[in-house]
Parts: sequence; C-alpha cells; structure tokens
Amino acid sequence: MMPTDISDLRLFVIYAWWFALGFSLLLYIMLDGADLGAGVFSLFVRDPDARGGVMAAMAGTWDANETWLVVAGGVLFGTFPLVYGSAFHYLLVPLVIVLWSIMMRAIALEFRHHANRSTQLWDGLFGVASLTTLFFAGMAMGAVLEGYPLTSGPVPTYAGGMWRFVSPFSVWTGIGAVIAASLAGSLFVRARFERTEDIRKQAAVWVDRSFYASLVAVVVTVVWSLLKFPWAAEKWLGPYVWAWALVAVAVVYTVFRMRRSSRLGRDLFAILWLNAAIAIMWLAMMVTMLPWLVPNTWTIYAAASPSVSLVTFTMAMGGFLPVMLVYNWYQIWVFRARISKLTGYGH
Amino acid sequence: MESATAILLSRLDFAWVASMHFLYPPLTIGLALLLFFAEWRWMRTDDEAWYRLTRFFEKLFIINFGAGVATGVTMEMAFGILYGPFSQAAGPYFGNVLGYETITAFMYEAGFIGLMIFGWGKISRGMHLFATFNVMLSSTLSAFWIMNANSWMQTPSGVELRNGIFHVTDWSKAIFNPSFLSSFAHMWVAAVELALFFVIGVCAWQLLKRRHEGIFAKPLKYALVAAAVVAPLQVYLGDDLGQVIGEHQPAALAAMEGHYHTYNKDGSVNTGWHIVAWPDAAAGDNRWAITIPHALSLIETHTLDGKVMGLDQLPAENRPPVWVPFYGFRVMVAIGFFLMLVAFYGAWLIYKRRLTAPYTGASRWFLRVAVFSGFLPFLAIWTGWWTREVARQPWLVDGMMRVEDGVSRMTVLEATIWLVGFMIFELVVWYFTWYFMAKVIRHGPDLEAPVLRGGHESLGHLEAEPEDDRAHPAYERP
Ligand code: HDD
Ligand code: HEM
Ligand code: HEM
Repeated sequence: MMPTDISDLRLFVIYAWWFALGFSLLLYIMLDGADLGAGVFSLFVRDPDARGGVMAAMAGTWDANETWLVVAGGVLFGTFPLVYGSAFHYLLVPLVIVLWSIMMRAIALEFRHHANRSTQLWDGLFGVASLTTLFFAGMAMGAVLEGYPLTSGPVPTYAGGMWRFVSPFSVWTGIGAVIAASLAGSLFVRARFERTEDIRKQAAVWVDRSFYASLVAVVVTVVWSLLKFPWAAEKWLGPYVWAWALVAVAVVYTVFRMRRSSRLGRDLFAILWLNAAIAIMWLAMMVTMLPWLVPNTWTIYAAASPSVSLVTFTMAMGGFLPVMLVYNWYQIWVFRARISKLTGYGH
Repeated sequence: MESATAILLSRLDFAWVASMHFLYPPLTIGLALLLFFAEWRWMRTDDEAWYRLTRFFEKLFIINFGAGVATGVTMEMAFGILYGPFSQAAGPYFGNVLGYETITAFMYEAGFIGLMIFGWGKISRGMHLFATFNVMLSSTLSAFWIMNANSWMQTPSGVELRNGIFHVTDWSKAIFNPSFLSSFAHMWVAAVELALFFVIGVCAWQLLKRRHEGIFAKPLKYALVAAAVVAPLQVYLGDDLGQVIGEHQPAALAAMEGHYHTYNKDGSVNTGWHIVAWPDAAAGDNRWAITIPHALSLIETHTLDGKVMGLDQLPAENRPPVWVPFYGFRVMVAIGFFLMLVAFYGAWLIYKRRLTAPYTGASRWFLRVAVFSGFLPFLAIWTGWWTREVARQPWLVDGMMRVEDGVSRMTVLEATIWLVGFMIFELVVWYFTWYFMAKVIRHGPDLEAPVLRGGHESLGHLEAEPEDDRAHPAYERP
C-alpha cells in the first residue's frame, strides 16, 4: 500500500502532520466537547440565572477551545489540501449547519451579556446551536468514515450529490456525539459550579444517564464498524488482536476510574479520566484508519501536499503548538475556580 | 447555462461571506492598537479617565470580536466548500499560508483574548497590558498572512503549475510576491484609520450629547491628530498600490479606470482619466464619460503622456468587468480624501483651541461630520475589496487559473441554499453586533465600578466580589 517513490524524510513529515491534525482534532473534541455538552444541558435548566452561569463558566475559554477546530482546518488545508477541497464539498450540508450553529453559539455567548429583554432568546439559541453543532459534526465524522467517490484525473474532486452523507451509520454517529458530549458537559458543569449550587444536583442526574448511554453508544459503534468496515475488521481481528484487546482494557479501566472519581465528587479527576478515555479511543481510531485519511478514498500519502516540508513543520509544531498549549493551560488555570450562578452573565 | 448560473451563485456566496466577515476584523486590528495605547497611558499616568476609556472601548471591541470569529470560521470552511478544486490545486501554497495564519495568529490571539477580557483584576496590570499587546500583535499577524494569500492570487509568483497543482518552487518569492507589501501596508493602515474614525465618531457623539466631557474630549483630540497623519499616509499608500497594480496587473488597472483604449483614434496615447463613465462591456467602450486629459498618465506613470494599457489589448474573454472596479475605486478614493480633509480640519480646530466645550458653532458642526465619518471607512474597505477582487476576474489566480476551474460544482439549488442561509445569518449577526454596540455607546462608560488594579484575588469570579472570598472554596485541588 505504501508508495515507494516517497523519501523517508517526506514520509516522516507526512506522518508528523497527520499526527498534528489528529491531535488538534482531539484537543478540540476534549475541550469544546465539554462546552457543547454543557450547552445541550443548559437547554434543560429552568433557572435563567443558572443558564447564564453555564455560559459564564466557559466565558474565558470557549474561544480558545474553538480555535483548535480552526487549527485543525488550517492543518488540513495546509497539509492535505486534496482532502480539504474534496471532503468539504462532500460534507457541504452538515458543515454549513455546523457553521451556522457555531456562529449562533458565538454570538449568543457574546450578546447574552449585553441583553436585558432578549436573554431567553440567546439562551435558547445557545442550547439549540450546541445541539446541532454536535449532531451534524458527529454525522460528518461518520460520513467521512464511509468514504466518498472521486472523479478521475490529476486532481480528483468529489463526485456525488449533496445528500450522500446521510446514512443510518452517520445518523447514528451524530446521535453518539450528542450523547458523549452530554457526559462531558455535565461533568464540566459539576466541576465549574460551587458545591452548594442546585445545578450540580441536576448535573449529577445527567452524569448518570449519559454515562450509561455513552457506554451503549460506544459498544454499538464499535460493533457496527466491525461489521460495516472491512478495513476496521482487518485491523482489529488481524495479527495484532492482542494489542487491540489491550486498548479495550485500557478504555474500560479509564472509564471505571472516571466513574469512581465522579461518585466521590472529585470532579476534576472525573474530567481527566474521561479525557484519557477519549484520547485512547481517538488514537486507536486514527491508527485503525491507516493508511487512509479518508477510508477507501484518500491515503495520507496521496493526499499530502507536495510542499510539506520539515522546516514549516518544525516551525509550527516546535514553536507555536507548545506555546499555544501553554496559553491554553494558563487560561484554564486563571479561570479555574468554581463559580456560582450569580456570577453569571448579566449581573 | 445551469452551470454558469451555479458558478455565478457560488461566487456571490463567497463574496457575501467575505464581505460580511470583513466588517469586523479591521476594527479588531485597529482598535486593539488604540486599546493598547489607552491602557498604556493608564499604566503610566494612573489617570482614571484612561482606565474608563479602555474599559468602555474594550466592551465594543469584544462585541465586534465575537462577530469576527463567528464569521471568520465560516470563511475558513467556505474555501473548501465553495472553491474545492481551487483549494486542492492551490493548497500547497495557499493552504499553507492560511495554515500559518491559523497557527501564528488565531491560536496566538485566542490565547490572550480571554485574559484581556476577563483578566481585569485577576492578573497583574503589567500582565494585562501584555495580553492586550499580544492581541494587537496577533491580529496584525492575521492580516499579514491573509493579505499574503490574497496578494499571491493577485500576482502569483514562486510557483509552477504541474498536473493541475501549484507546486511551490521558491517560498520567498511566493511570499514576497510583487503586490504583497503594498497591499498589506494599505490594508493595515486602513484598519488603523477605520479604528481612529470609529473612536472619533463615538467620542464626537458623546460630546454632541454633552455626556462625559471629561472622558471623551481628550481621546477625540488624540485620535484626530493621529488621523491627520494616518489619512494622508493612506492616500499615499493607495497611490503606491496603484503603481504596483499598473505594473503587474494592467488589466485590473484598466478596469478600475474604465480605460478601454490604449491609443486615441489619431494614434496618440490615450491619457484621459474618467471622473464618471458609463462602461459598456459589449461595445468595448464607455457610452459616455467625463474625462480629464493627461490625468491618467499623471496618476499612473507620473508623467504627462505615459502609456497605460487599455482593455482593448485583451481578448474579450479575458477582460474583467468594469462597473464594480470603476465605481468601487472612485468611492474608496473619494472617502480617502474626504477623511483626510476631516482630519485636517479637526486638527486645525484643535490648534486654534476651538474644539473645546461648550461646542457651539463650527465645532458643533464638526462633531456632526465626525460622527458621520465614523461610518465611511467601513464603506471604503468594502469598496476597496470589491475593486480588488472583481478587477482580478476572470482569473482566480491571475493568469494561471480561471474562476470556472476553481469553483466547486455546486448545483443551483445548493448554491442558493447557501446564499439564502448566510444572508439571513450574517444579517442577524450584523444587526445584533451594531445594535449592542449602539447600546453600549448610549449607555456610556461605567463610572461607578471600582477601578480594578492588578490583583491576585480569588480567581474564577467574573466580577470582583469583595471580601467574601473565604466563603467560596477555590478550585478543589485533588
Ligand atoms: C485569501 C483570499 C481572499 C481574501 C483575503 C478575500 N477574498 Fe474575495 N475572493 C477570493 C479570495 C479572497 C476568491 C476565493 O478567490 C474569489 C472567489 C471568486 C474569485 O474570483 O475570487 C473571491 C471573490 C470575491 C468577490 C466576487 C468577485 C467576483 O466574482 O466578481 C468579492 C466581491 C469578494 N471576494 C470580496 C472580498 C472581500 C470584501 C474581502 C475582504 C475580506 C475578500 N474578498 C477577501
Ligand atoms: C478569505 C479570507 C479569510 C479567511 C479564510 C479568514 C478566516 C478567519 C477565521 C477562521 C477567523 C476566526 C479565527 C478565530 O477562531 O479566532 C478570522 C478572524 C479574523 N480575521 Fe479573517 N479571514 C479572511 C479574511 C480576512 C482578512 C482580509 C483580514 C484582515 C485584513 C482578516 C483578519 C482577521 C482578524 C484580525 C481576525 C480575528 C479578529 C476578529 O475575529 O475580529 N481576515 N478570520
Ligand atoms: C485616495 C485614497 C486611496 C487610494 C488612491 C487607494 C487605492 C487603492 C488601490 C489602488 C487598491 C488596489 C485595488 C486592486 O488591487 O485592484 C486599493 C485597495 C484597497 N483599499 Fe484603497 N485607496 C485609498 C483609500 C482607501 C481608504 C481610505 C480605505 C479604508 C479606510 C481603503 C481601503 C482599501 C482596501 C481594504 C483595499 C483592498 C485591500 C488591499 O488591496 O490592500 N483605501 N486601494
């Protein structure tokens, strides 16, 4: 499968970028996933002040979290332009809806603060837009796993209609994304509010329900993928089946630790364990897909830009990524304390 | 036929999201600079007025910034969706540059913006000023890269088209392509000019309403004096950019000037500059025009009879449309000169010590004009971009890739859904952005809240809550 005309250095750079892309997406999912999930949760919070509190809880960090999506987009465009140009056309509809939703969410977050009479409107928009972002982003992810047809020619582009992304599997991954994010979101709310706040009790119920729902969702997705995607089955049941079994054990262990931490009220630990589980599953998926970037459509070799160079990679990853991580961390640290709903927007 | 309509629609789709995005970033770029200045003055003088001003304009900044991010994320995806084949072909250069923008500017900016907005009273004053500084720097870097990507499309160099893909042969040539430095300078100064006139407009409005004179009189003067330097600079940079266009994109220049004929009927060089004209693409000429002889040669070649290439040198299918560049350019230039006069007159009033309370007579009139002038740079920036983008037609990458080869094959239905959807969304964003900005402006600066100096108080409280820190447990450390 691996083309022979690629030099070792180039191969290394391509893999390095592939990893950077996956890493940015992973960070996006871990960081913004919780924000989005908290948005969905806020739809079910009655008390307007508490809803404002949910928004306030992410006020200082949501923009930086979302930036990881932009980073992933930038890396994709910069390093794998052939995928960027064709996949985005394939995913026109879900991406447009995600875009609308992200826009609405962003302005709801900003404007809620300045509004007097229209707070209800912004609260609602914020919640609904969080939900649609999750669902359609999840759908897009599932649709990518299914691959898409290309034109022939030197620069293959997407050939197919705008509804091709809809399938039972992609609808399911959309639902799965909502479920998983609800878990992350309710853990986030529990960690961000003071222990005396009522909203934490409501979030506890959510943690419970979304926890079981997530378990089911993960199992269903894995089994479905196994049956549906030969490239996944080949890897998982191939000679390294023991390694994949270890991965599964690791996931089960992290999930168990998360559950325990959350029971004990150690909210930060619960979040960290959840993120560990997400990271393991995400990396496992990336490796499962190799050498494909988009299964049965683009290998990472064919998709890589001819001008990827070690210099630019080193610049970006050695220089800016670590700096960005430090900022991210510093920001989270500055805004780390629990809040009460009265520090919410509009007070 | 179907596909011609679809292509037109996808172009409109892109033009629409770009134009709507572009309402916000220039203010972000320019205002960040002014905020940094005001906050720095506060650090140095400890004068409360500077603090109130910083906080006040920062509120406007934030509203604008949110809208900029929301519409900007759209732009990044819009390329892949609307210009799939272009993104694939130009990715090796263009995508890389946008990638740099993401990494060096957006990541960088996002890291500091939260601190700048919510860090008041939580981090030290020096750290806060540092955050503001970095927001300023990173937004400028953003303009740097995006102008780079765009100017490369205008004057592509350092690349080779092989098998339908642009391979980069020389990075430094591609980055420092002929039109980059001029257009970046012109753009950046446009952002500063816009922010200055925005501040001027807001201050003038407050003074007209006789509100907070103690706070708004000083920045009005500072901004006017700065504008008296920046506005002529912008005219100069515009002229400089025009020279570059004339040299490297003669077709674009001809379209901007409605210049159809290189030579007159008698064989002499056509040197006429049209003030107004009625371009007619089918006839390949202006139906009528009001023309000043020699002016065009003077502007473009700085000589009386220099030759300027006309559209008649190009085959019809390679000619850009004329209406938009011609009038877009004129509106921008008119605004450029008008703003310069406003700034000069304001500076003169200051010099004569007539721009002081109680603002009657000439100074009152001046304030009204100043409020009006606050809107004009937005229009100039729009018309400037429309000129630039339309005059590049029918090329997507000048001379190398035509628009119809770069646009995604969308159906008319798809393109229409996009357009209608974004029409509504972007208008909603615009309406509320300006609505809330107006609200903040009407409300005026907050004079009651205590001045937040640097601090290390219990973190995590969005508003400083005095004394009861103990009651709120800090974040549980495991
Ligand atoms: C980095 C590249 C880039 C940048 C910074 C911009 N554009 Fe652009 N623009 C394009 C890249 C582009 C493009 C993708 O290349 C288009 C689509 C079709 C075309 O010829 O150029 C285009 C088309 C296009 C058109 C339609 C022209 C036509 O089809 O006749 C307009 C009016 C604008 N843009 C306006 C803007 C504005 C107001 C911008 C300010 C932010 C802007 N563009 C920035
Ligand atoms: C077609 C080209 C463009 C694309 C793809 C684009 C993309 C984006 C994106 C994705 C964002 C949001 C970043 C975030 O998450 O923080 C953004 C914001 C921004 N853009 Fe653009 N943009 C374009 C045109 C421009 C131009 C022409 C300028 C300036 C000259 C500019 C300057 C900025 C700035 C300063 C910001 C951050 C501040 C703000 O949001 O107001 N952009 N842009
Ligand atoms: C007399 C004054 C001015 C002159 C002679 C001038 C000239 C020009 C020229 C020649 C272009 C390039 C068009 C192309 O590429 O086809 C341009 C673009 C532009 N102008 Fe101006 N301009 C002037 C004033 C202004 C003002 C006052 C603003 C805004 C405050 C402005 C904003 C822009 C923008 C945003 C662009 C597109 C980006 C760029 O090319 O940098 N201009 N202008």
